[in-house]
Amino acid sequence: MEYWSNGKGLTSSMRMQNIISVSKGLAFVCFSVVTIASLMLFSTATADESEKLTIYVVNYPLQYFAERIAVEHARVVFPAPADVDPAYWMPDEKTISEYQRADLILLNGANYAKWVNKVSLPRFRMVNTSAAFKDRYIETAEILTHSHGAEGEHGHEALAFTTWIDFSLAAEQAEAIAKALSRTRPALRDTFQKNYEELKRELLKLDRDIKEVVSKEQSRVLVVSHPVYDYFARGYGLNIRSVHWEPDEIPTTAQMVELHTILKDHQAKWMIWEGEPAKEAVERLKTIGIQSVVFDPCGNAPNQGDFMSVMRQNIENLKEVFPQSRW
Amino acid sequence: MLDTFYIAWRYVSFNKIKTATLVACVTLISFLPLSLQLLLEESERQLMSRAVSTPLVVGAKGSSLDLVMNTLYFDDEVPELITVAASNRVMDTDLALPIPVYARFQARGNPIVGTTLDYFDFRGLKIAQGRQLAVLGDCVLGAKVAETLGLEPGDSLVSSPETLFDLAGIYPLKMKVVGVLEKSHTSDDLAVFVDLKTAWVIQGLGHGHEDVTKLRDPTLVLKRTEKNVAATAKLYHHNEITEKNIDSFHFHGDLAQYPITAVIAVPHDDKSGTILRGRYLSQEETRQIVRPEDVIDGLLQNIFRIKNVLDAVISVVALATILAIILVFALSLRLRQREIQTVFKLGCRRATIARLLTAEIFIIVIMSGVFCGAMVFLVNQLSNDLVRMLFIR
Repeated sequence: MEYWSNGKGLTSSMRMQNIISVSKGLAFVCFSVVTIASLMLFSTATADESEKLTIYVVNYPLQYFAERIAVEHARVVFPAPADVDPAYWMPDEKTISEYQRADLILLNGANYAKWVNKVSLPRFRMVNTSAAFKDRYIETAEILTHSHGAEGEHGHEALAFTTWIDFSLAAEQAEAIAKALSRTRPALRDTFQKNYEELKRELLKLDRDIKEVVSKEQSRVLVVSHPVYDYFARGYGLNIRSVHWEPDEIPTTAQMVELHTILKDHQAKWMIWEGEPAKEAVERLKTIGIQSVVFDPCGNAPNQGDFMSVMRQNIENLKEVFPQSRW
Repeated sequence: MLDTFYIAWRYVSFNKIKTATLVACVTLISFLPLSLQLLLEESERQLMSRAVSTPLVVGAKGSSLDLVMNTLYFDDEVPELITVAASNRVMDTDLALPIPVYARFQARGNPIVGTTLDYFDFRGLKIAQGRQLAVLGDCVLGAKVAETLGLEPGDSLVSSPETLFDLAGIYPLKMKVVGVLEKSHTSDDLAVFVDLKTAWVIQGLGHGHEDVTKLRDPTLVLKRTEKNVAATAKLYHHNEITEKNIDSFHFHGDLAQYPITAVIAVPHDDKSGTILRGRYLSQEETRQIVRPEDVIDGLLQNIFRIKNVLDAVISVVALATILAIILVFALSLRLRQREIQTVFKLGCRRATIARLLTAEIFIIVIMSGVFCGAMVFLVNQLSNDLVRMLFIR
């Protein structure tokens, strides 16, 4: 100010110089402000775009599919403890609230994870990955109905839910995940689609491999240790009957009697187990001419490897059951 | 001037009854139209703001007003029920996001609203105390309900039976209060929110009991065949959902066929909304889709028509009152003739006498203005609650 007030004594060139230098200063300030503002806006937009999605799932196969499709763009959480069957697990309140806060909740459908019907979850963020083939759900037979009150006779209807071990259905579930991810992050649609295509190729290869393994002797009858192989049997044309045995338990006399009853009109030579069976159970089965083989549905995270490696191992195991094939 | 007002004040304070009557008349005549206007404006604001923020409502064909009033303001008049399939249908169109609403039951005079968590996001409702709904049997209270009933997280609230005489009917459900919402100054403050599935448990569609296939007590089994076990009425149904018995709670049949009162459809954009509305135009259609804004606008048109009649009535009453007041003043002047003559003989000019009388009227009008202003201020402060109490809920 003082400088300008004394301006009377300054030459016109000096005045011009002052004006130019002040203008330069102002221009620099303006440029800096605009640059900083642009950078801030850009960084905010980038942060929004690059923010990871939080996806909660109800079983391990869905976690694997989601991780394969979303890769680094999502944090996929499957909170069930390793030693429980996720189909019958009940999360605690803290875990339910984590599910509620997730960007996406991937459900298996077909009444898998019974707890879903007993908790409050945001419907907009829930994706039933098997909705596309709900007309192909398998109803499990022999429902004992009951009556009480004015409702009349009703049964607690049961659906088979281990859908993903029919790998063509697993591919459809993966597609549902890819679509849901694309809806949530449209900018990453191409990435998700590319990753899904790759996963689909691998799943359909598993599908072809199993078909090839079983094709030579599709009429072979099998007993399965748990009623979780319905989609597997339907998908690959296998003739199975189910008992309800746990791999880590020795079959009781009643269970053996039940098996004998089944074997009367279903002369199986192999029993498929969900997990490595107890040695004594294997021996007991051998005495009646039944071999044991493991086909792990992989509903929970495996101790070693991942979904693909477990399924490849399952197929390898199946080759023992269908030896006439050309391996 | 001050002397004039002093003498006028002394006069009006001496004739207390007459002054009080005149002040009351003028106050009421000015207060009535002003307060009515205030309340109508507030009710219009409340009705419209909620209607405008609710894009589309799907429900059974019938009274669109009942449908909107029940869905938006949880009115007692329950519209004809629809099923969850109507909500799934909206979802399947991929044009809008559906929020099912089942506002049918009550708990201690407050509506129980069964819905999904999306409702809270949609309305921007935040939890002030406790937590959000998590498991079957949980309920979250509107701010006013919690305040009126003196409830807080950890307490319980029992649903009211639909009819007192349904002795063999559904037992009330003891719900666990898990959260209280922040005040929203809307109908949500007066509601008890539960998950849709909890509302079905209240209705008896979902229930928990012992596994009837494993019953040992013969008095509980009416008939047992290879395919069916029929239980007697003695079979105990849980009336509270706890950690211990939650596994026994179940729903029969297809949940898509379960009842709801309406679906709030939130279209992705205007075009999607228009296309969605077009899908409900067929003659054979059993559902209707309405824009709450249109329905409430129609309602307000009727209210304003009534308001015009009221305004006319008030104007006539006001005119009559003003005439009566003029008469009172005229009679008062006649009664005060001797007093005025005395003042005149004492040397007061006619103008001074006129000033005295004007000052008296001025004081009465000012007093009425003050009272009226105070009452209007009070109504303005309470208009939100008054409108809910008188007009909405």
